[in-house]
Amino acid sequence: MGRISLTNIDRAYGKVKVLHDINLDIQDGEMLVLVGPSGCGKSTLLRLLAGLDKPTSGKLAIDGRDVTRVSAAERGLAMVFQSYALYPHMTVRQNLAFGLENQRMPKAEIDARITEATRMLEIGQYLDRRPGQLSGGQRQRVAIGRAVVRNPTAFLLDEPLSNLDAELRISTRAEISALHKRLATTMVYVTHDQVEAMTLADRIVVMRAGRIEQVGRPLDLYNEPANLFVAGFIGAPRMNLLPCKVKAAAPGTVSIEGPGGLSTTIAANGEALKPGDDVTIGIRPHDMTIGMGSKGALEAQVTLVEALGPETVAHTLTADGQKLVAVLKGQQLDGAGGAVKLHFDPAMAHLFDRSGQRVTYVRSK
Amino acid sequence: MTVQTTIGQKIGAAIAAPISWLAAIVDAPLKLWQRATGTNGMAAFFLAPNMLIFGIFVLAPFIINFLYSTTSGNAFFLPDRNFVGADQYRRLLECGSYLDPSSCREDLFWKAVHNTGLFVVLQVALLVVVSMITALILNREIVGRSFWRAVFFFPVLLSPVVVGLIWRWILQRQGLLNSMLYQFGYQPTEWLTDRFWAFAAGVTVSVWAHMGFFTLILLAGLQAIPRDLYEAAEMDGTRPGRVFWRITLPLLMPNLLVVIILALIRAVQIFDEVYVLTGGGPGTSTLFLTQYIYEVGFASLLRNPGLAAAASILMGAVLVVLTLVQLQVGRRNEKKGARE
Repeated sequence: MGRISLTNIDRAYGKVKVLHDINLDIQDGEMLVLVGPSGCGKSTLLRLLAGLDKPTSGKLAIDGRDVTRVSAAERGLAMVFQSYALYPHMTVRQNLAFGLENQRMPKAEIDARITEATRMLEIGQYLDRRPGQLSGGQRQRVAIGRAVVRNPTAFLLDEPLSNLDAELRISTRAEISALHKRLATTMVYVTHDQVEAMTLADRIVVMRAGRIEQVGRPLDLYNEPANLFVAGFIGAPRMNLLPCKVKAAAPGTVSIEGPGGLSTTIAANGEALKPGDDVTIGIRPHDMTIGMGSKGALEAQVTLVEALGPETVAHTLTADGQKLVAVLKGQQLDGAGGAVKLHFDPAMAHLFDRSGQRVTYVRSK
Repeated sequence: MTVQTTIGQKIGAAIAAPISWLAAIVDAPLKLWQRATGTNGMAAFFLAPNMLIFGIFVLAPFIINFLYSTTSGNAFFLPDRNFVGADQYRRLLECGSYLDPSSCREDLFWKAVHNTGLFVVLQVALLVVVSMITALILNREIVGRSFWRAVFFFPVLLSPVVVGLIWRWILQRQGLLNSMLYQFGYQPTEWLTDRFWAFAAGVTVSVWAHMGFFTLILLAGLQAIPRDLYEAAEMDGTRPGRVFWRITLPLLMPNLLVVIILALIRAVQIFDEVYVLTGGGPGTSTLFLTQYIYEVGFASLLRNPGLAAAASILMGAVLVVLTLVQLQVGRRNEKKGARE
């Protein structure tokens, strides 16, 4: 079992409050990813889960047992640190065995667990080396191995890939995902990289300034962002967000006009809106197409073209100075400088009110 | 804004002007030197002032000292002294048993060697343990941490003579400590005139005077140990004692080795604070090597600079060995640091 629930968790350092009323239920066997920009409180939240820090108020329970004031060691969790936190003076074997020796586990049992973990993580050949003699990727595996041998209720991973190069990060990400499937143990994973979050998570928790902005499955967050922050944070390249005015609002539809000659009608909850209200329309770069010379929704100048092979990223600028990015299928556009018309399907657009909250209807996918 | 820039530029120009003039003055002779000696010659040019100072104040005294150690008599000038070869060394090293100073021809020298040896063992052990405990406490988040750090470092700033005088004032028969003990109904103790207590006082005062410096080195080492390691240990349910022996101590070992070797070097050289405190007494119970050298060379009625010089060369040899060990440890730490 590895069900974790947080109820009304607050954490303040003096007068500075870093976590505000966090409520979250993490299901058994789930891979939950905490994502958000630096300083949003995701690592603090992980440390609270680990027991390395205590909440100012609120309750934390693991499998129904209140562990709010229980020490880190007694929570039955294992953590993989961003820096790996391997003991530099010990060999890999000693690093793996250290925590088990603390529990006064029989040597045969320790050896069996180490053998199993090293086989799973393919680090058997490094057992007699010290961390200083390993590459970043190998150290990372040892750090995971140290968590695995403890057979914990849940794994806590604090940005474990951030010290790896881009190529290794992708392969290790896949390995962590495979490991999660194999172990079927709850994992709480902290990252600031939304791509990591999207690829690994069963559910994502988007955080900002100590608050949870949205919790949901990766594609739910991508398709139905609850607010402007989530809309801008999830998805790469980030969603185009254009300030617009409401032209007409009725229950079910909202007509808007905006930069680049934009004028469209979107299916949305327009009951609270009235003509003249400020709203923001969000269009994913992948939902835009370019029609050279044909009649279009948005007129813009191409400022930069990134030809990636299977797709082309076009950076454009409207006459109002609004930047727009379009990701086009295949190899399009010869270069920057030309005028283009950007099209999008209004059904794929997202509308946010003046306070940044979503007003578009939730679509069934 | 413009005015500030102009003033700034003027100040900058005023500072730069004399430097430019100086550069212009030395430019021509330096160019000549470089033309004559090549690029390598420039290194010699820049090293010359330092080498000159080193030569006058270190190398020359060492050579003169060595020459003195091969002579006898109490004449001051070297040409007036008799060359005796290794006689002074023979005199120092002639012993029935090195464990029994009274069986040695130069029994005072061996008494000083024995005292210094015992002092080194006790003082270094106590110093390392006390410095380590202090560093561990100061590394915790205690109230007034900066204040306590300053308090423990303060004795390092005192002159050894001041240290000796302060503690003599505290420990003498009618000193502060005995007065306080008397107030509480205890009989006064002969802290500085009893052989055991005088030696113990020498060790304690020396530890008090130097522990701030070593605490600082250990504290720097403790702070360099990543916090993550302790958190990992906490997650693993490691008991505090095991954290110290299995994590803190091994990771502090490079600093600890430096501390031990530096403390050894300083302990072998012990002189001033103990000399002011006890004068080497009672009897010869706190007579140490440096005091022996000083007294034989300069202070006794039958002064023998040659014998003192030979004793100082022997002591220097011990210090050279310790310094080489320290350098070796330093290099090993550097290599280890580069690897990790």
